Amino acid sequence: MSFNDVLSLLRISLHAMVPLALTAVGEIVGETAGLFNIGLEGILLLSAFGGALAAGYGGPVVGLLVGMGIGGAVALVFAVINTYWKGTQMVTGIGINLFAMGFVAFGLIQLGAPGFHDVPNAAELFKWRTPMGLMSPMILVALVLPFLIHWLLKRTRVGLMLKAAGEMPEAADVAGININRIRLLAAVFGGVLAGLGGAYMSVAWLGVVTKQLSAGRGFIALACVVFSGLNPLLALLGAFIFGFFQALAEWVKTLPSKPIPGEFVSMLPYLITLLVVSGAIGRVRFPKALGEPYKRE
Amino acid sequence: MNDQSAPSETGFFLKADRITKVYSDGTVALKEASLEIRPHEIVGLLGENGAGKTTLTKILSGLLPPTRGRVVSSKGPIRFASPREALDFGIGMVHQHFALVGTFTAAENVALSHERPFTRIQIAKTQQALQSLMEESGLHIPLDVPVEKLAVGEQQRVEILKVLSRDVDLLILDEPTSVLTPLEVDELFTLLRRLKDEGKSIILITHKLKEVGTITDRVVVLRHGEMVGDVRTAEASTEQLARLMVGQALDEEVDAVELRTDEIPQARVREPIDRAGQGILHVEDLVAKGNTGEIAVDGVSFDVYGGEIFGIAGVEGNGQTELVESLTGLRVPMSGTATINGTNILGIDPREIYRLGVAHIPEDRWELGLVLPFTLAENAILGVHRWQEFRGPLTLLKWGRINRHVRQLMDRFDIQATGPSAPAKSLSGGNQQKLIVGRELAKDPAIIVASQPTRGLDIGAAHYIRQTLVEMRDAGRAILLVSADLDEVLAHADRVGIMYEGRFMDVCTPDELDRERVGMLMGGATEKEVE
Amino acid sequence: MSRSEGTMQSRLLRGAHRTLTGLHPALESLLAAVVGLLVGAILMSIYGFDPWKAYMGLVKGAFGGSYEIASSLSRATPLILTALTFSICLRAGMFNIGAEGQMYMGGIASVLVAYFVLPPGLHQIVGLIFAAFAGAVWGIVPALLKVTRGVSEVISTIMFNWIARWLALYLAIYVVVDPRRPEKTLSIPVSARFPVLVPRTDLSYAIFVSIAFALVIYFLLWHTAIGYEVRAAGLNPTAARYGGIRSKRTMLLSFILGGLGAGLAGATIVMGLPPTYAIYGGGGLPQLLNMGFDGMAVAMVGRNHPIGILIAAVFFGGLNAGGRVMQFYGAKPVPLEMVRVVMGAIVLVMSIPELIRLFPAIKKQGEKLIGWMRRMSRRGEKEGAA
Repeated sequence: MSFNDVLSLLRISLHAMVPLALTAVGEIVGETAGLFNIGLEGILLLSAFGGALAAGYGGPVVGLLVGMGIGGAVALVFAVINTYWKGTQMVTGIGINLFAMGFVAFGLIQLGAPGFHDVPNAAELFKWRTPMGLMSPMILVALVLPFLIHWLLKRTRVGLMLKAAGEMPEAADVAGININRIRLLAAVFGGVLAGLGGAYMSVAWLGVVTKQLSAGRGFIALACVVFSGLNPLLALLGAFIFGFFQALAEWVKTLPSKPIPGEFVSMLPYLITLLVVSGAIGRVRFPKALGEPYKRE
Repeated sequence: MNDQSAPSETGFFLKADRITKVYSDGTVALKEASLEIRPHEIVGLLGENGAGKTTLTKILSGLLPPTRGRVVSSKGPIRFASPREALDFGIGMVHQHFALVGTFTAAENVALSHERPFTRIQIAKTQQALQSLMEESGLHIPLDVPVEKLAVGEQQRVEILKVLSRDVDLLILDEPTSVLTPLEVDELFTLLRRLKDEGKSIILITHKLKEVGTITDRVVVLRHGEMVGDVRTAEASTEQLARLMVGQALDEEVDAVELRTDEIPQARVREPIDRAGQGILHVEDLVAKGNTGEIAVDGVSFDVYGGEIFGIAGVEGNGQTELVESLTGLRVPMSGTATINGTNILGIDPREIYRLGVAHIPEDRWELGLVLPFTLAENAILGVHRWQEFRGPLTLLKWGRINRHVRQLMDRFDIQATGPSAPAKSLSGGNQQKLIVGRELAKDPAIIVASQPTRGLDIGAAHYIRQTLVEMRDAGRAILLVSADLDEVLAHADRVGIMYEGRFMDVCTPDELDRERVGMLMGGATEKEVE
Repeated sequence: MSRSEGTMQSRLLRGAHRTLTGLHPALESLLAAVVGLLVGAILMSIYGFDPWKAYMGLVKGAFGGSYEIASSLSRATPLILTALTFSICLRAGMFNIGAEGQMYMGGIASVLVAYFVLPPGLHQIVGLIFAAFAGAVWGIVPALLKVTRGVSEVISTIMFNWIARWLALYLAIYVVVDPRRPEKTLSIPVSARFPVLVPRTDLSYAIFVSIAFALVIYFLLWHTAIGYEVRAAGLNPTAARYGGIRSKRTMLLSFILGGLGAGLAGATIVMGLPPTYAIYGGGGLPQLLNMGFDGMAVAMVGRNHPIGILIAAVFFGGLNAGGRVMQFYGAKPVPLEMVRVVMGAIVLVMSIPELIRLFPAIKKQGEKLIGWMRRMSRRGEKEGAA
């Protein structure tokens, strides 16, 4: 393995880290407040698709913004159902995923090529030329954001409010905090970040939209959240680790001689996720009210 | 600071005017309840569970909107859109189940109700303010420990400080003494008197007639959502108040315990119990850890013989829960022995323990004792579902026989429900507890472990349960009664162990105790200090 | 009216009242289905399709004739099983999202019967056993991880889904591949195939496997002590502990049963779906694809009860079968992916409790009706007793 190969691997890892980090950090905010959104996978798909479409019309930045908007909108539906309407979070999430699977497949057919859509070059986000090769500026965003969120959760009153809503909503309610509203805002924020991650995949990184573009990333992001114990910095680390293994899988596929069949290499990210999650559990403590709708009476 | 509280001839500070509250499922919680609150006054709000006390005060403090009626202050009608508005106005409530975020420190919990959004928290400032407040009020707590690590009494103090730090005019306390030792209760009442002298109004929600007599100026009685009495405490007798609470001719119906004053009853004259050798239940040097890893049961030894009730008194949180769990297969203790008629019961499956003749009436009927979505029939076989009489080959369940069994239980214990297939959550608390008691007694046990068996029940149901236990005792069974209700224990136990921080401070008979001594022992004073 | 007439009438009214409110959960599912279809219709209009035509095609394709009905039932067959997978584990308090992967493994395992020569009857049973075993093994690992290390079964089952997908693909392409037609696996020999139930349709006797499994699960959960323990632990693990039930055991058992069911689902497709009786490798195992996820939707609409699941499976099977026809129906046919969109919308709507709350008009009418009936029955009683 040459030095160039290592750089290449690092570059791909950083790129692969972005959607995982963004989604995971967003979900951390949501889970801190008590909402468990399993529909992240669906949000990634929908925003990748929608963002790509929008980018085709208005350019990459518009694409990213539209992706964020889609993510926020879907999360809004999730949030309203599970705060004001006291729904079942798990079921809503599964519904979102099913819907997204069907909708994106359907939409792709509408665009002409079933299962595949190439984002035109003009719609792709620029990349910087670096010694490591072409890198997306979004990597920087993904590196900085977790630190911001960490600060927000630990040191501001907003962070206190979120934690109170997730840990003991009764106490927060008595303190005058509107539980439904803060949970809604937290979930929407998480959705916006996931939407950014999804749009990034099509507009700023891979340049295509496929039926299975997300490839389980939404769930890997959830694994990151679990691994991190709701600490954004650890989630960033986790995202990098998983991204690395995804990159590794891709790299092995490009090798001229195939030591391992491609199928096993594709399994690798999921196996690693499994191992990491199995090893890390035990020291993690989640908000007490996570997953429970809050009823005042 | 608040000129409404200036005493005036007409003056009231707050008035609840014909409040009616109907919940979304149709339950009428309050019916045209009216209440006046004046400064310099402690009002007792008396009533059984479900009478509407908590609902009324939640409406007063802004947490619930009334269906009809309004809350008026000297300034005019007021409708609070949120608890914070009520707090800003000057009404603060200390709940029975503390509204504290466990992972936060006391200072952080107080800061939560203070700061405006999106500014940085200045914990140091809050801490300083709290220090001076603690000096003033005489309530002391560590400020930088997560509150979930504090003792229950200390947690309550955090709650009170939280409210006091907002400089309220009306303080509402919901059953504050249920988690305090007699000494702590005295301290609390001293504080309340001082606040009253400063001009504040205080509402004390309670179901304990004794407390009402001790601390209140006025008593308001609620029954089934209606205001049935509003009298000066000095002018009302306990019998009158009890009658108002329950609403029917008393005589033998109501447990005499409710009406007692400060005396401990004489020991009952009965046949002497043979206490030679080990009891049916024999416990020796039991040590067990709690959920947080600390020692909860610190070397407990005692025997319970057939034909007696052994009571364990003490404020909740001193290891009683862990002790009961260790004896009923729900917790594995660290060391010690415990046997039923010689057979070990430590560290084995609850079902095995039941087979050895142990019945367990758990302290939390919703969490532990029942599967609420299950039907009565399904709950009636919990723990005995594998017994021969209910089970056929291949673990087939004989529903026919089970249903017959449940109907018998319903008959014998007067359980009000539509039938064996009614969901358990549709039953009232009293009927749920009767179901549990019936289920446990049907095991024909040698010993009954009853943990807080009458908690949260209305007088009638509580009385019934106590009677049943006494009957079992008279029939020769052994009863282990764990209760935070001191009067209950003292009135029914033949011997009492007072538990504090995992150990028995003393084991004696009720006639050897007087209230003061018990109170001190419950608070941890050693024998020498008590003398 | 006479005394006996009065009491009769009041009793009838009360009975009707009880049925209406008892029907409530089924009504909710129905309402969710309607809303889901509505959402689909809206989306179709936006994209320029004709929803009416599309739904006509759907209904025709689902229940239009005996061939169509048989087709719907055939599609329902694996759905019943994967729905039960999700449902059993949900009853035990767990979210088993892994039916998809467990089904893949079961499907591949059942292909192995091609290596044996056995008399018919025995051959099918052996295939079912292989498939059930493979599914159960695939299901028990996440359960073990949960029980020993507290790993969230949501995440682990999903990871196992993806691992199974790649593993099954590899096995299908390289190991059990048909040497003459490498795009698919070996075909199941005739002696192992489930005979066709209705001639010239794709409905085979495999549906009885599904129905039998559903009945077994119903019986197990509600009429045995083991099933009682599973349900109790799922609803209240603390009280179950008090009752001497170990939730670890019930969790493991539920995942074994669930994996078993999903494995069987794979078998019903491989051994019971004409004309291929094999698995195609290309495109990610198209015959098996998404049966697991659809099963979850079926379980929810079926209110998590075996009987409800049977009914819901027929509905969803109809959606699938109808979708195939819908995509060729009319001048501008709607692609069958729209069916999954509708499914997702239905599940989304199902996650809202007491849906009826959100439709105040419907609710008001319902309340008026119930109130009227109550008054009538009371009046009937009074008159009857007079």
